[in-house]
Amino acid sequence: MKIDGTVVRGDHFSGNIAEIRKFAVMSLSWLTVIFVAVWGVCWALGIFIPMCLANSSFDFAAILSEVCKALTPIAAVLVFIPINAMFMVLMERRALALFTRRNGPNRVGPDGALQTAADAVKLLLKEDITPTGADALMFTLAPIIFFAPSIFGALPLLAAVTNNHKLFQIVDLPTGIFYVLAASSVPVVGIVMGGWASNNKYSLMGGLRSAAQAISYEIPLVLSLVTICLLAGTLDVVSIAYQQSGGLLNWNILGGGALIGLNKAIAALVSSSGAPFAEVMNAYYPYGWLSFVGAAVLCMCTVILFGVYLIGACAEINRIPFDLPEAESELVSGYNTEYSGIKFAIFFLAEFTNLFIVSTIAVVMFLGSGDCPLPTWLNPLSYPAVYEPLAKALSPVLSVLINDLHLINPPTFWAALWVIFKTYSLIFFAILVRGTLPRFRIDQLMDFGWKRLIPITLVIFVLVAFARGVINFHV
Amino acid sequence: MEQFELLTNWAQVNVEAFVLYALAIIAIPCAFCVLFDRAIIRSGFFLIGVFGAVCGLFLILQAQFLALAQLMIYTVGITLVVVIALMLTNPRLEKEGVAVEGRERFSGLVIATVFFLTIYCALRSESWPLSSLRMNPENVKQIGAALITTYALPFEFASVLLLAALMGAILLAKAEPKNDVSKIAGEN
Amino acid sequence: MVDQIMHTGNKPAPTLATTLAFAIVAISITVAFASGQLVTLLLNLGLNTFAAYPEIFVFLVIAVLATIASAMPNSNRLAIVSIAGVMGYIALTYNQDMLIKYLSLAALLFSIGMYGMVVSRNAVRVLMSIELMLNAVNLNLVAFARYVDPVHIRGQIFAIFILTVAAAEAAVGLAIVLAIYRNTSTVDMEKFNLLKW
Repeated sequence: MKIDGTVVRGDHFSGNIAEIRKFAVMSLSWLTVIFVAVWGVCWALGIFIPMCLANSSFDFAAILSEVCKALTPIAAVLVFIPINAMFMVLMERRALALFTRRNGPNRVGPDGALQTAADAVKLLLKEDITPTGADALMFTLAPIIFFAPSIFGALPLLAAVTNNHKLFQIVDLPTGIFYVLAASSVPVVGIVMGGWASNNKYSLMGGLRSAAQAISYEIPLVLSLVTICLLAGTLDVVSIAYQQSGGLLNWNILGGGALIGLNKAIAALVSSSGAPFAEVMNAYYPYGWLSFVGAAVLCMCTVILFGVYLIGACAEINRIPFDLPEAESELVSGYNTEYSGIKFAIFFLAEFTNLFIVSTIAVVMFLGSGDCPLPTWLNPLSYPAVYEPLAKALSPVLSVLINDLHLINPPTFWAALWVIFKTYSLIFFAILVRGTLPRFRIDQLMDFGWKRLIPITLVIFVLVAFARGVINFHV
Repeated sequence: MEQFELLTNWAQVNVEAFVLYALAIIAIPCAFCVLFDRAIIRSGFFLIGVFGAVCGLFLILQAQFLALAQLMIYTVGITLVVVIALMLTNPRLEKEGVAVEGRERFSGLVIATVFFLTIYCALRSESWPLSSLRMNPENVKQIGAALITTYALPFEFASVLLLAALMGAILLAKAEPKNDVSKIAGEN
Repeated sequence: MVDQIMHTGNKPAPTLATTLAFAIVAISITVAFASGQLVTLLLNLGLNTFAAYPEIFVFLVIAVLATIASAMPNSNRLAIVSIAGVMGYIALTYNQDMLIKYLSLAALLFSIGMYGMVVSRNAVRVLMSIELMLNAVNLNLVAFARYVDPVHIRGQIFAIFILTVAAAEAAVGLAIVLAIYRNTSTVDMEKFNLLKW
């Protein structure tokens, strides 16, 4: 690297291009491995085994296949969580290296792609130490209580992110988002428990800070999601995902459905076949300019809510800039100071899983779940002429895969691709925040939560409750 | 839940009773631990265990909303109780012994036992007007509708009560500036 | 300092023998009752009164055994009481309706909470006992909503109000405990007797 002005700039740039390419290749290959593996397990357990059993004649075949189908969501989550956490740790380290002009892990495997796999093996083989004077029962229970809710909390989201695939309909609960929120409020118990049981003052401080922080930031987090539920009129995540289908304008981040009318009106204008523009507009915005003001207010409110949600979620899962419970420089990494070996691995796994889950919730609740951002009237894929030749050429292969083996389900496939893209973009954003912002001080944290976020969300809640009266939603 | 009935018919055992007993086996020892554990902090965590089991009971009684609300409110609420217990408990005092002197302890035991047996006998002698009707699977909607129509007034009073409690708690706890008010207020 | 806060296990560990013996006896007697063999045994022994109400017999036997076992030196009283509670509960409700099973469990939890409220010296533990009692009441109401009033589910709505009142009670209760602690530097219930003449 040269110190000289102009040359340095170009040098930086070309150096980073190579690193970015490596990062992209690494991410894509890991993602392929993860999702092929997860879908392979789901398909084998939920479709292939029942298909084989359907032809067999022994007594318990029907029941066994039902059991297999019922176990599929759990198996999917259990397979997904460890591999995904390995990838996310690697992604975080590589991305942070990118932001700070370092190389990141690059020794184990091609370009360091197997670094975290090696780390995982190391963690599992390490000695599991229980410190002297620790409360052994609570010390063991703490990582379990911290981790278990993230498994159960992930389940209702499965149906929403796979476009309600029939394998995952069993976990589609009528109280979906409430269930996820309830599950996400449990891990703080694990942190306080672990902090207390470790018999270490730093751990105890970390646990206490975590309790204060989680309670303060849970309120704006829940209120922001509740406001979205108010707009959607349901708690069911699949319904919320379906309501947002049809392009960017229908997503909850833009008015929570306030712009659906506009979307439909433009579609009518473009296609020039259906109802005329003005008629559609009148059906959705019956009060003239008042309705337009309402729509504008709703758009503004939901964008702010999205920001509040991201902040609250960051605080809930103890990410920088809210990582006070595990601040390395102040508390020697707080509640998990005394943890080692497999218990530490579980804490670590749960933290990254929680990051993934809050990103998925954001995608489902705000960013249209598995929906393509292009509106239908702009999307080339909604005009069959574009892709028909290709589909025809591949049809013999595809028909075997889709209709006979059920290995590919096109609606689920496209939805899942979009969800994966959006979720990992949000995770990348969280890493970017980590690479950018310094840590809060504890009093600033409390002030910000109680004096800023909660009033903002309450005001928005009231605004939304009134503004939604002047617009017709989901006609 | 309906799945229970299907399973019951298939397996020839009462699955709901089985789950109930499994949860009772968690709840009852945890409840005893709340009373008798020497460390008050651990009692708090056992109390969360009891509430978790009761949450499971609500789920098998088809009260999803209450079960989830219970989980949300009590895990956080009891964590707060634990934190406050941690701040206020004097370890030397705890070492002296958990319970009060023998006479009161004995009378308490007698009262509790007699109370339980009385209620149990009353329960058994009563013929309950059991209803065989099915529950509405979407009872969350039903609760929501009832809360803002039939029970709108009590609902409003509950909110006023909560506000009053919030303000009272802050006022009581705020006497000294060094105290952390936000933790108390977080209760609601 | 932290060591003082977290004093754990500075008592000699209780021996397992008594507890284990009690557990085996209690579980086997409950299983014998559940499988119906106890009634035949009682009839063969000529105890017809008990054979008519075998669950009462099981309950009494378990209670007496638990008293004896916990009076033994070095026994784990917590484990014995827990096993006795669970087995007594199972015996008392095994042949009953589902509703009575729930209601009995709620009554048991309520009694435990009541006992804790009477005997605890620590004010925070008293608050915990009150929470336990309120939760037992909620369980009652939800069980009624499921089995007696499944159409209007008024029990569940009432339970929601109890939940809010419990939250308010906990907030104010903790604040009071905090205020008392400031004045007396203790949360011992025995020392809050300022109003006693």
